[in-house]
Amino acid sequence: MTPVLILALLTGAILFGVGIYGALSQTNLVMIMMGVELILAGALVNLVAFWRFLHPEVYAGQMFVLVVMTVMAVEMAVGFGVAIARFRAKGSVEMEEAGDLQG
Amino acid sequence: MVAQAFFVGVFGLAAIGFGVAVFRTASMVRSALALLFSQAAVGCMFLAMQAEFLGVLQIMMMATEMSIMAIFMVMFMMDPGGLGGMDMSHQKRFSIGAGAIAATTAISVALFSDWGPIFAEAPDAAMQTRELGFEMLDRSMLIFETAAITILTAMIAATAVAIPVRQPGVDTGKLDKENGDKEQEASK
Repeated sequence: MTPVLILALLTGAILFGVGIYGALSQTNLVMIMMGVELILAGALVNLVAFWRFLHPEVYAGQMFVLVVMTVMAVEMAVGFGVAIARFRAKGSVEMEEAGDLQG
Repeated sequence: MVAQAFFVGVFGLAAIGFGVAVFRTASMVRSALALLFSQAAVGCMFLAMQAEFLGVLQIMMMATEMSIMAIFMVMFMMDPGGLGGMDMSHQKRFSIGAGAIAATTAISVALFSDWGPIFAEAPDAAMQTRELGFEMLDRSMLIFETAAITILTAMIAATAVAIPVRQPGVDTGKLDKENGDKEQEASK
């Protein structure tokens, strides 16, 4: 068991926990997106560590990282689009005032 | 290996520290900058783990993303400088509990799993980039193309959502002015 792999996995796990806290505790849409970014950053760290220390000869592992980076970019684009629309309609991106979006 | 462990540990601590700082500062600009530094530290971790291409990509992408996020913060927040000391959080105990449980579960899996044989050596940077290129244009081409189309779709969708809804033959500028006048009259 290599300590570097474990160090990376611990970092990913803690980033994931901090991101979960941020996404659940914040009331502002942009801050919630920051929490989601941290969750995905934790996933990225784990993916790179798995590729590097367990299967460095399989480059599909790096493709996973690129896919998660794509998800991060898409989340930002759609999130900011929703934020602009919400701000234009209601003058605020506070999610506590967004009960009308409830399904 | 010792140097690698040292740098992965240092950058990991930096990533976690800046990640926590995102939700501890009252200033939204500082939050965005803290997230930028956290993501940059994650990119440096990739470099320390000898994934050079991914590390550089992460740092470049996140620097751009977080700069845009800082601009949005200033645009949309009621108190972007944090001078009013507003608390913009809720259900704190539940959130801390959920975050702690998630982190503890992931840490337990990391510590108590048998990860099998570990590779000490990684392919060199030029070989990695070459092989990743072949991977993207060969076996993973469908995934690569799907990711590209997804980003394009998201860009179009985000722009479409952000553009104000216009009724045919109605100038929204005039409409906004009329609505404003009506509100002013109602307030009188």
